[in-house]
Amino acid sequence: MSGDATNGAAEAAQALSVAFRKATKVYPGADRPAVNELEVEVPAGEICVFVGPSGCGKTTAMRMVNRMVEITEGDILVGDRSVRDRSPSDLRREIGYVIQQTGLFPHRMIGDNIATVPRLLGWDHDRVASRVRELMKLISLDADLADRYPSQLSGGQQQRVGVARALAADPGVMLMDEPFGAVDPINRERLQNEFLRLQAEVRKTILFVTHDIDEAIKMGDRVAILREGGILAQYATPAELLMAPADDFVEDFVGADRALKRLALLRVSDIDLWEAPLAYVGQPTAEVRTKLERAEVPHALLVDSERRPLGWLSESDLQNEMVPARPDISPEPVLDRDDVMRDALSDLLQAETMYAPVVDAQRRIDGILSVEIISEFLGSTEALAEEHLAVERPTAE
Amino acid sequence: MIAPVANGVLATDAANRCAPGLPESFCHQHEVTGCVGGNGLFCFDWAADNFDRYVGPFFRHLEIVAISVVAGFAIALALAVLSHRHRALVPPVLGATGVLYTIPSVAFFFLLLPITGFGLATAVIPLSAYTLQIIYRNTLVGLANVPPDAKDAGLGMGMSENQLMWRVELPLAAPEVIAGLRIATVSTVAIATLAFLAGAGGLGQPLYEQLGFKTNIIIVGVLTIAMALFLDLIVVLAQRFITPWRRARPG
Repeated sequence: MSGDATNGAAEAAQALSVAFRKATKVYPGADRPAVNELEVEVPAGEICVFVGPSGCGKTTAMRMVNRMVEITEGDILVGDRSVRDRSPSDLRREIGYVIQQTGLFPHRMIGDNIATVPRLLGWDHDRVASRVRELMKLISLDADLADRYPSQLSGGQQQRVGVARALAADPGVMLMDEPFGAVDPINRERLQNEFLRLQAEVRKTILFVTHDIDEAIKMGDRVAILREGGILAQYATPAELLMAPADDFVEDFVGADRALKRLALLRVSDIDLWEAPLAYVGQPTAEVRTKLERAEVPHALLVDSERRPLGWLSESDLQNEMVPARPDISPEPVLDRDDVMRDALSDLLQAETMYAPVVDAQRRIDGILSVEIISEFLGSTEALAEEHLAVERPTAE
Repeated sequence: MIAPVANGVLATDAANRCAPGLPESFCHQHEVTGCVGGNGLFCFDWAADNFDRYVGPFFRHLEIVAISVVAGFAIALALAVLSHRHRALVPPVLGATGVLYTIPSVAFFFLLLPITGFGLATAVIPLSAYTLQIIYRNTLVGLANVPPDAKDAGLGMGMSENQLMWRVELPLAAPEVIAGLRIATVSTVAIATLAFLAGAGGLGQPLYEQLGFKTNIIIVGVLTIAMALFLDLIVVLAQRFITPWRRARPG
């Protein structure tokens, strides 16, 4: 997760917390608020995702932070200062702003687009130029693209330039309105991952708006689910949201597959694995048979002297007196402790196997992951969540 | 100043007959035999000998057009920028420029004569007034067509209204603004041939002095068209220069 130290040092500006204090927006002539007494605290350096169906006021809520939408009631604090006390221009120059269609200026070259806010702030020419170079590098864009026009770049490149432009003056807070919404699914995934890596380096406080719950769960340290009328339905970490949805609305919104979604939040190392019945080359097979009797899996795992898996021993492998050097069954798939649980499950299903060895970074055996462990894990926490909620609502369905 | 246009006057002297359509005064001053005497379609010799007389009016014409278009452009642009911000100004400005546009030029000149007198100003005021409508309209369209997300991004990054106008909106509206400017320029070149009625000279002067003489008409016509094409070319080149992003090819 942690980035290259030199790049990190260049992004030394302090991230600022953002606090919504009963922030309310009523548009003139509207019979009900677009955002209703929103209470959300975003700690400095975290990504908070606003998610909800259309008309839930998530974009309005975000735009109140840089006063692109004026607050009707309540307040929003950036750092510890009320946005109401700031001049909109000054405030906006200190807050990065990324929008869906990138909002890049089509008549300005990429370098000039990135330089927008530094120039508004009156930086001198050399400082602007070196900052542009630095950012082009940060978003891994070729330096010679700096004098192209936006229309000459791919959608994904444009989106990255949008992010670089927002980062240009090193703001403490970034607002991102469906930044990856206009990108195709494959590129979106890549941009999301890139952005998470970038965030690990720059550590900004980020308010991120999306209508896609999967994106919210993936990107957010915290997720605020809003419902129609700008009412906060739940504000929690993605795991809490999936495990204990506050009500039917949230449960519906996170989707019927929330169990699977939770797997996307877990790594293999987060779960208790089975102990592997290990066998070494030249070991008496009788010992292995005894071990197998107490094991959860039907086969012993042959490992080398460094405890690295070589393969599974079949029944015929154990016919001899000593464990052979070449096992009958390949150890594949071998899972990594750091694999995302969803991917690990997918590997198991794809290999049509019920279990697989898990190794650490040195490829040494750590334990065995099985479909059974995963389903038990989901079952137990699911039950916990049901129990927790049983008091508050009648069981639906 | 205005040449008497004598239609169908026949010279009495049989040997020195003036061609139909030529003013008699003209026939007295010029060789009236051959091409000129017969008012041929285009008399090359005469054109070569007399081309000097068009040089002064040509540059005067250019001057009238340039002043009118530049003044009209500046006023229309200012009006458009103002009314883009204050939408209530749009109907009255459109109405006013529309009314100006419908005043016949000759009437406009004579209305102004008592105020501004015989000369350049009397010609330039109506001509620039005629450019207002088209440039104003096109500028408004151009500003309305600026991508909303570019404006949103500009404001969201902390641009003031003025910064947004000069750094984002006007540059992006440039293609439409310039399309208006081109029409205004070309039509001003044409209407400016009436500027001599206001005492401002220009290519209308030699044209109306010998209105029946085909060679004269053709020379003035060609010069006028050449000027229109030349100015249009300059505006197009200026557009290419100030809107390089429109020619940027992907890749």
